[in-house]
Amino acid sequence: MVRTVDEYLRLLRQELDGSDPAVIQDALADAEEHFRGALAQALNGSPGASEADVVPAIAEKYGSPQEIAAAYRQMEARLSPGLGRRTHAGPRSVFYRFFGVFADLRAWAALLYFVLSLATGIAYFTWAVTGLSLSLGLLVLIVGLPVAVLFLLSVRGIAFIEGRLVEALLGVRMPRRPRFSNEKTGFWQRIRDLFTQRITWTALAYCILQLGLGIFYFSLFTGLIGMAVYFIALPITVFAFDMPAYIVIGDTEYQAVTWAIPFLVVLGVLLLTATMHLARLMGRGHGALAKLMLVNDKAR
Amino acid sequence: MWGKNKDLDQIESADRKFQKELVSGVAALVLLSILGEATEPMYGYQIAKVIDGQAEEAPVLKQGALYPVLRSLESSGLLESHVEPSVSGPPRRYYRITEAGQTTLARWTAMWDQLRTFVDTVMKGEGHGQDG
Repeated sequence: MVRTVDEYLRLLRQELDGSDPAVIQDALADAEEHFRGALAQALNGSPGASEADVVPAIAEKYGSPQEIAAAYRQMEARLSPGLGRRTHAGPRSVFYRFFGVFADLRAWAALLYFVLSLATGIAYFTWAVTGLSLSLGLLVLIVGLPVAVLFLLSVRGIAFIEGRLVEALLGVRMPRRPRFSNEKTGFWQRIRDLFTQRITWTALAYCILQLGLGIFYFSLFTGLIGMAVYFIALPITVFAFDMPAYIVIGDTEYQAVTWAIPFLVVLGVLLLTATMHLARLMGRGHGALAKLMLVNDKAR
Repeated sequence: MWGKNKDLDQIESADRKFQKELVSGVAALVLLSILGEATEPMYGYQIAKVIDGQAEEAPVLKQGALYPVLRSLESSGLLESHVEPSVSGPPRRYYRITEAGQTTLARWTAMWDQLRTFVDTVMKGEGHGQDG
């Protein structure tokens, strides 16, 4: 028999063990919202009652942790996150497998994410460094603590927003709602939690790391696409605009001979396709990193 | 006579399975129509109470099973939601029906009426006669 809300949540977490951490976080949030609401109402109705008196009835109506865990698993199996529409399954020709990447929304979305990552990287980094130095600098004064708390809360906010972006563009399941603390947790405990939970610090590290990654992703993909587009457009630039086909490697300039131009066009197409594959692959990698650093593992 | 407990258990579990299948099919329709009637966004517990108030006997649908359905309706664009802080604990997620949800509700209602009429007709045995 379940006697407290926390006990129910613990059992539900146990039942969901092995599911996606983000699903667990959502299921626990739903259950906690429901139980706290029902509990507050039940206690209002009968002032003398304690939590242990009313929780069993609430849990009975809500459904056993087993049932509820099964319902979430079922829902998750039906929904794929973000741009989850996978292109056709089944055996395909090698040609399709290579060039089919252009029909895969996920590759385009990942590309968009990497181009955007320069902007988000700069924004997160600026915010993180400003907030960090402001908090640390003011920590000698008494105002330092509230500033630090507000700053760390904002970092958790950024983690949530970045999570939404990662899910939409990289298709990695992330929490769909912000985390909240237990109602019974006191004000000071919440602040202590903010400082002691792993996710606060990994999210902060992510904000700082994202600048470097953003610069890398942005230059890599704009560079590769620029080069591919240049190769593909060579016939136009050479024959229509009469511009020589230069490639500079180190100190040496190479000029492509006319007969090489068709080959360079083909090379450009291959390069563009390979870039799309790379974007899709790296999208998965970055998604995994984001999940590691931005999702609370307490939900596991 | 159902002398043995085992038989009783089997009947009970078959009943439960049948009920679960019936209910899971209409849960989305029920939620959509409650939110379609609502004038203001509602949160999960509020919706659960509305359902509770209308079920005459023991509620057939576990309240906790509503939330994943709400979520899946939201991700198909039939509902939209926002989170608001509450005085009594964790923030609440308020759901509201979308325009797509309204048109879907109309279609599903029509489908439900059709199915109900069909099932009623079959069970009353109308049309079973040899020559109509």
